Amino acid sequence: MSVDIRNVSKSFRSTLAVDDASLALEEGSFVSIVGPSGCGKSTLLRLVAGLIRPSSGTIDVRGVPVKGPLRNIGMVFQSPVLLPWRRTLDNILFVAEMGGLKTSQWRERALELMQLAGLGGFEASYPHELSGGMQQRASICRAMLLKPPLILMDEPFGALDVITRERMGYALQTLWDESRSTVLFVTHSITEAVLLSDTVVVMTPRPGRIRDIVPIDLPRPRHPGTLREPRFLELSERVREGIEAQWME
Amino acid sequence: MSESMSKRLAAIAKPLACFAVLVLIWQYGAPLAGIPSYVLPLPTEIAQRFIETFSVQMQGLAMTAFTTLAGLGLALVVGVLLALLIIYVPLLGSMITPLLAAFNSIPKIAIAPLFVIWFGLGYESKVLLAFLLALFPIFVNSVTGLGEIEADLIDLSTLAGGNRWRIFVKVRLMNAVPYIADAVKVAFPLALVGSIVGEFIGGNSGIGHIILSGQFNLDTPLVFATLLSITLFTTLGIGAVSLFENAFLTWRPSQRRR
Ligand SMILES: Nc1ncnc2c1ncn2[C@@H]1O[C@H](COP(=O)(O)OP(=O)(O)O)[C@@H](O)[C@H]1O
Ligand SMILES: [Mg+2]
Repeated sequence: MSVDIRNVSKSFRSTLAVDDASLALEEGSFVSIVGPSGCGKSTLLRLVAGLIRPSSGTIDVRGVPVKGPLRNIGMVFQSPVLLPWRRTLDNILFVAEMGGLKTSQWRERALELMQLAGLGGFEASYPHELSGGMQQRASICRAMLLKPPLILMDEPFGALDVITRERMGYALQTLWDESRSTVLFVTHSITEAVLLSDTVVVMTPRPGRIRDIVPIDLPRPRHPGTLREPRFLELSERVREGIEAQWME
Repeated sequence: MSESMSKRLAAIAKPLACFAVLVLIWQYGAPLAGIPSYVLPLPTEIAQRFIETFSVQMQGLAMTAFTTLAGLGLALVVGVLLALLIIYVPLLGSMITPLLAAFNSIPKIAIAPLFVIWFGLGYESKVLLAFLLALFPIFVNSVTGLGEIEADLIDLSTLAGGNRWRIFVKVRLMNAVPYIADAVKVAFPLALVGSIVGEFIGGNSGIGHIILSGQFNLDTPLVFATLLSITLFTTLGIGAVSLFENAFLTWRPSQRRR
């Protein structure tokens, strides 16, 4: 869904976590936020979700001001936060139960998503029987199950090794392609941000400010070859400049 | 499958063999050492006394089991409710928790005679004592199990449309089950102590009463035979919790097959 962030600031006591951020997300777009830790990325995500209120400014989702927690959006964190007592399929169906929906009607879709994410055959496994990458893919499937209009991801691949991480990116692209939810994706990785996004937002810390907004016009679907395209390198360079500029100050 | 079966058999057989050796040493060593029967009766004497008094033993056990389980059940209900109160009403929690901790530091055994004054020599004072001894571990573990949920998980559940009730049932309660199972393993023997101490102090029924009469008549084999009955009961109780864990908590780290 479309998200409109206008002049939003958020301070925690004396810390100004987000300073006058303005950002518009188009319906169905994939937007990444990159920036060093402590620059207010998670805070911005929590503001959009309605989990915390801005100190000033407004956030509209589909034209409606956010007043409290949104009730139909997907969320992925750095850790998979799966329920250890549920088998993988039931973990994915968990959000249907939270939404008060009949799980039987979402089973089929959950199984499809698991196939797409390469989790076929692990429906009856407990989370501790899966690798870290598989757990995180399960948590992405869970976020996508109800076809939420908006999915927020806070460094979802931050805890994974580099090789797994790259493969996860393509897996995410496949899953997103199927649902076309609006995604707000937080990452430390410039490569990951450029590879996956329609728009990359560069943030700088203390106070957390939006420094640059870079539209990514690379054709989809993106693949390992994309990483070697001149346009990809050009765009990555621009994002890098936004991040490095602050070091000079 | 057969491998795990034989492993499990070995796990039972080893301590059993050790126990058998100890019993043999006892049986044949005690007479050699000249220990009289009223101090340490022979295993065979104990077994004989156990069989002779079997129906009395079982009657006593039924009474003690009733007060123990009633106290434990009551402690479960009250402990979980108190924990809920503390989690959902933090202000009340900050008022109640220190009081409970202070109360817990009083040795309950020391106030047992008071319960006899208040509730008489019937089963009520025993249930109350069992309840008080079992309450604290159940309360503490319930607070942990119901309360220590990752904030991310609560956020995720809320954003998926979860309300307080659904989050309580599907997240908090489920998270608390293994903690409460652990608490029961501790609270069950404690409740039993409560019941037996209650029986020592007054009344004329239960395992505690049989032990007292054994002491009164210098019938040491009877005392030992009664201990055997108690062991029977505690083994059954702990076994029931283990069965529950094997059936429902296979996902726990401690239950995972290696
Ligand atoms: N609940 C909070 N209370 C106080 N300070 C906070 C809170 N959440 C975040 N902050 C502060 O706000 C700043 C931005 O935090 P965060 O949004 O988590 O950054 P990021 O996700 O980019 O690493 C940090 O300086 C952090 O210490
Ligand atoms: Mg963060």
